[in-house]
Amino acid sequence: MKVTDFLSKKAISAELKSTKKEDVIKEMVDLLISAGEIEKKHRAKLTELLMAREALGSTAIGQGVAIPHAKIDCVKHLVAAFGLSKKGVNFDSLDGEPAYIFFLLVAPQDSAGPHLKALARISRLLKDKYFRDSLKQSKDTASILKIINQEDDKKT
Amino acid sequence: MPRIKKEIIVKNKQGLHARPAALFVQIANKYEAEISVKKEDEEVNGKSIMGILLLGAEKDSKILIIADGVDANEAIVELESLITKEE
Repeated sequence: MKVTDFLSKKAISAELKSTKKEDVIKEMVDLLISAGEIEKKHRAKLTELLMAREALGSTAIGQGVAIPHAKIDCVKHLVAAFGLSKKGVNFDSLDGEPAYIFFLLVAPQDSAGPHLKALARISRLLKDKYFRDSLKQSKDTASILKIINQEDDKKT
Repeated sequence: MPRIKKEIIVKNKQGLHARPAALFVQIANKYEAEISVKKEDEEVNGKSIMGILLLGAEKDSKILIIADGVDANEAIVELESLITKEE
Protein backbone atom coordinates (compact mmCIF):
# COMPACT_ATOMS: atom_id res chain seq x y z
CA MET A 1 0.00 0.00 0.00
CA LYS A 2 1.25 3.46 -0.89
CA VAL A 3 0.31 6.79 0.66
CA THR A 4 -0.78 8.03 -2.75
CA ASP A 5 -3.28 5.13 -2.91
CA PHE A 6 -5.41 6.72 -0.22
CA LEU A 7 -4.32 10.36 -0.04
CA SER A 8 -6.92 12.53 -1.73
CA LYS A 9 -4.90 14.69 -4.11
CA LYS A 10 -7.33 17.56 -3.78
CA ALA A 11 -7.34 17.41 0.02
CA ILE A 12 -3.88 18.84 0.62
CA SER A 13 -3.11 22.10 2.38
CA ALA A 14 0.37 23.61 2.44
CA GLU A 15 -0.72 26.12 5.04
CA LEU A 16 -3.30 25.22 7.65
CA LYS A 17 -4.65 28.37 9.22
CA SER A 18 -5.93 26.83 12.44
CA THR A 19 -3.90 27.03 15.60
CA LYS A 20 -5.97 24.77 17.88
CA LYS A 21 -6.46 21.03 17.79
CA GLU A 22 -10.20 21.00 17.12
CA ASP A 23 -9.91 23.74 14.49
CA VAL A 24 -7.17 21.84 12.66
CA ILE A 25 -9.40 18.77 12.59
CA LYS A 26 -12.34 20.80 11.25
CA GLU A 27 -10.16 22.47 8.65
CA MET A 28 -8.94 19.08 7.44
CA VAL A 29 -12.44 17.59 7.38
CA ASP A 30 -13.36 20.55 5.19
CA LEU A 31 -10.48 19.68 2.86
CA LEU A 32 -12.07 16.26 2.35
CA ILE A 33 -15.47 17.84 1.79
CA SER A 34 -14.18 20.31 -0.80
CA ALA A 35 -12.32 17.47 -2.49
CA GLY A 36 -15.65 15.68 -2.85
CA GLU A 37 -14.58 12.71 -0.71
CA ILE A 38 -17.18 13.28 1.99
CA GLU A 39 -20.59 14.88 1.89
CA LYS A 40 -21.04 18.07 3.84
CA LYS A 41 -23.88 16.64 5.92
CA HIS A 42 -21.38 14.33 7.67
CA ARG A 43 -19.14 17.20 8.76
CA ALA A 44 -20.36 17.47 12.37
CA LYS A 45 -20.50 13.73 12.97
CA LEU A 46 -17.05 13.10 11.55
CA THR A 47 -15.53 15.95 13.55
CA GLU A 48 -17.15 14.57 16.69
CA LEU A 49 -15.73 11.08 16.04
CA LEU A 50 -12.26 12.45 15.39
CA MET A 51 -12.36 14.49 18.60
CA ALA A 52 -13.65 11.50 20.56
CA ARG A 53 -10.67 9.52 19.30
CA GLU A 54 -8.32 12.32 20.44
CA ALA A 55 -9.93 12.18 23.88
CA LEU A 56 -8.81 8.55 24.20
CA GLY A 57 -5.22 9.60 23.68
CA SER A 58 -3.58 12.05 21.34
CA THR A 59 -2.84 10.90 17.79
CA ALA A 60 0.25 13.10 17.75
CA ILE A 61 2.86 10.37 17.47
CA GLY A 62 5.93 12.52 18.03
CA GLN A 63 8.53 14.20 15.80
CA GLY A 64 5.99 16.88 14.87
CA VAL A 65 3.55 14.43 13.28
CA ALA A 66 -0.14 13.85 14.02
CA ILE A 67 -2.49 11.33 12.44
CA PRO A 68 -6.06 12.05 13.56
CA HIS A 69 -8.33 9.24 12.43
CA ALA A 70 -11.82 7.85 12.71
CA LYS A 71 -14.07 5.20 11.28
CA ILE A 72 -17.36 6.19 9.78
CA ASP A 73 -19.59 4.58 7.18
CA CYS A 74 -20.01 7.65 5.00
CA VAL A 75 -16.84 6.59 3.17
CA LYS A 76 -16.61 3.44 1.07
CA HIS A 77 -12.85 3.18 1.26
CA LEU A 78 -9.99 4.62 3.25
CA VAL A 79 -9.26 8.24 2.42
CA ALA A 80 -6.78 10.77 3.80
CA ALA A 81 -6.18 14.51 3.84
CA PHE A 82 -2.80 16.13 4.36
CA GLY A 83 -2.00 19.43 6.04
CA LEU A 84 1.01 21.44 7.09
CA SER A 85 1.15 23.98 9.84
CA LYS A 86 4.09 26.34 9.58
CA LYS A 87 3.78 27.54 13.16
CA GLY A 88 2.99 24.18 14.72
CA VAL A 89 -0.04 23.24 16.77
CA ASN A 90 -0.24 22.01 20.33
CA PHE A 91 -1.69 18.53 19.82
CA ASP A 92 -0.88 17.05 23.24
CA SER A 93 1.79 14.83 21.77
CA LEU A 94 3.65 12.38 23.98
CA ASP A 95 6.99 14.04 23.32
CA GLY A 96 5.52 17.46 24.12
CA GLU A 97 6.46 18.89 20.73
CA PRO A 98 3.99 20.82 18.56
CA ALA A 99 2.66 19.07 15.46
CA TYR A 100 3.49 20.42 12.01
CA ILE A 101 2.63 17.52 9.73
CA PHE A 102 -0.92 16.16 9.68
CA PHE A 103 -2.41 13.13 8.01
CA LEU A 104 -6.13 12.79 8.69
CA LEU A 105 -7.50 9.34 7.95
CA VAL A 106 -11.10 8.34 7.51
CA ALA A 107 -11.97 4.67 7.06
CA PRO A 108 -15.17 2.64 6.83
CA GLN A 109 -16.27 0.87 10.02
CA ASP A 110 -15.08 -2.60 9.17
CA SER A 111 -11.60 -1.82 7.91
CA ALA A 112 -9.09 -2.73 10.60
CA GLY A 113 -6.68 -4.22 8.04
CA PRO A 114 -6.36 -1.35 5.55
CA HIS A 115 -6.40 1.15 8.40
CA LEU A 116 -3.42 -0.52 10.09
CA LYS A 117 -1.58 -0.76 6.78
CA ALA A 118 -2.16 2.93 6.09
CA LEU A 119 -0.81 3.90 9.52
CA ALA A 120 2.19 1.65 8.91
CA ARG A 121 2.86 3.20 5.52
CA ILE A 122 2.59 6.78 6.77
CA SER A 123 4.92 5.97 9.67
CA ARG A 124 7.43 4.28 7.39
CA LEU A 125 7.71 7.39 5.25
CA LEU A 126 7.62 9.90 8.09
CA LYS A 127 10.27 8.16 10.16
CA ASP A 128 12.79 9.66 7.78
CA LYS A 129 13.88 13.01 9.15
CA TYR A 130 14.96 14.27 5.74
CA PHE A 131 11.50 13.52 4.36
CA ARG A 132 9.80 15.29 7.30
CA ASP A 133 12.01 18.31 6.86
CA SER A 134 11.39 18.57 3.13
CA LEU A 135 7.65 18.29 3.70
CA LYS A 136 7.76 21.02 6.33
CA GLN A 137 9.54 23.32 3.92
CA SER A 138 7.07 22.77 1.10
CA LYS A 139 5.39 25.91 -0.13
CA ASP A 140 2.51 24.52 -2.16
CA THR A 141 0.38 21.44 -2.68
CA ALA A 142 2.15 20.47 -5.90
CA SER A 143 5.50 20.16 -4.18
CA ILE A 144 3.97 18.27 -1.24
CA LEU A 145 2.49 15.75 -3.62
CA LYS A 146 5.76 15.48 -5.52
CA ILE A 147 7.77 14.83 -2.34
CA ILE A 148 5.28 12.21 -1.14
CA ASN A 149 5.29 10.53 -4.55
CA GLN A 150 9.07 10.36 -4.64
CA GLU A 151 9.27 8.88 -1.14
CA ASP A 152 6.49 6.42 -1.92
CA ASP A 153 8.46 5.16 -4.92
CA LYS A 154 11.72 4.99 -3.01
CA LYS A 155 10.39 2.83 -0.18
CA THR A 156 8.73 -0.27 -1.49
CA MET B 1 22.93 -6.65 32.67
CA PRO B 2 20.21 -8.90 31.36
CA ARG B 3 19.33 -8.98 27.71
CA ILE B 4 16.02 -10.69 27.23
CA LYS B 5 14.19 -11.67 24.08
CA LYS B 6 10.64 -12.80 23.97
CA GLU B 7 8.48 -13.80 21.08
CA ILE B 8 4.89 -12.68 21.49
CA ILE B 9 1.75 -13.09 19.43
CA VAL B 10 -0.22 -9.84 19.11
CA LYS B 11 -3.70 -10.33 20.48
CA ASN B 12 -5.15 -6.81 20.26
CA LYS B 13 -8.25 -7.03 18.13
CA GLN B 14 -7.06 -4.49 15.61
CA GLY B 15 -3.36 -5.19 15.89
CA LEU B 16 -0.78 -2.67 17.06
CA HIS B 17 -2.63 0.37 15.76
CA ALA B 18 -2.13 3.93 16.98
CA ARG B 19 -3.52 3.62 20.49
CA PRO B 20 -1.77 0.42 21.58
CA ALA B 21 1.41 1.67 19.90
CA ALA B 22 1.24 4.84 21.98
CA LEU B 23 0.61 2.81 25.14
CA PHE B 24 3.47 0.47 24.25
CA VAL B 25 5.86 3.39 23.94
CA GLN B 26 4.61 4.96 27.17
CA ILE B 27 5.35 1.73 29.01
CA ALA B 28 8.68 1.22 27.26
CA ASN B 29 9.78 4.71 28.22
CA LYS B 30 9.25 4.02 31.92
CA TYR B 31 12.11 1.57 31.83
CA GLU B 32 15.81 2.15 31.65
CA ALA B 33 16.37 -0.87 29.45
CA GLU B 34 16.83 -0.38 25.75
CA ILE B 35 13.85 -1.89 24.02
CA SER B 36 13.47 -2.89 20.42
CA VAL B 37 10.80 -4.74 18.54
CA LYS B 38 11.35 -7.02 15.60
CA LYS B 39 8.83 -8.28 13.09
CA GLU B 40 10.10 -10.47 10.31
CA ASP B 41 13.39 -8.85 9.29
CA GLU B 42 12.64 -5.40 10.52
CA GLU B 43 13.80 -4.12 13.90
CA VAL B 44 12.64 -0.80 15.35
CA ASN B 45 13.11 1.25 18.49
CA GLY B 46 10.47 0.20 21.04
CA LYS B 47 10.38 3.71 22.43
CA SER B 48 9.19 5.34 19.19
CA ILE B 49 5.51 5.28 18.21
CA MET B 50 6.41 5.71 14.56
CA GLY B 51 8.73 2.75 14.82
CA ILE B 52 6.07 0.48 16.31
CA LEU B 53 3.46 1.67 13.82
CA LEU B 54 5.55 1.05 10.74
CA LEU B 55 5.70 -2.64 11.61
CA GLY B 56 1.97 -2.81 10.91
CA ALA B 57 1.65 -5.72 13.33
CA GLU B 58 -1.83 -7.14 12.82
CA LYS B 59 -3.73 -9.42 15.21
CA ASP B 60 -2.13 -12.87 15.50
CA SER B 61 1.16 -11.70 14.04
CA LYS B 62 4.38 -12.60 15.76
CA ILE B 63 6.76 -10.00 17.12
CA LEU B 64 9.98 -10.28 19.06
CA ILE B 65 10.62 -7.90 21.93
CA ILE B 66 14.23 -7.40 22.91
CA ALA B 67 15.01 -5.62 26.16
CA ASP B 68 18.51 -4.85 27.32
CA GLY B 69 19.21 -3.36 30.73
CA VAL B 70 18.71 -3.68 34.48
CA ASP B 71 14.92 -3.70 34.33
CA ALA B 72 14.60 -5.69 31.09
CA ASN B 73 12.58 -8.44 32.68
CA GLU B 74 9.96 -6.15 34.23
CA ALA B 75 9.67 -4.23 30.96
CA ILE B 76 8.96 -7.36 28.96
CA VAL B 77 6.35 -8.59 31.44
CA GLU B 78 4.42 -5.32 31.28
CA LEU B 79 4.67 -5.00 27.49
CA GLU B 80 3.55 -8.56 27.00
CA SER B 81 0.45 -8.01 29.10
CA LEU B 82 -0.43 -4.98 26.94
CA ILE B 83 -0.20 -6.70 23.59
CA THR B 84 -1.83 -9.94 24.63
CA LYS B 85 -4.95 -8.12 25.79
CA GLU B 86 -7.79 -8.97 23.46
CA GLU B 87 -9.51 -5.64 23.31
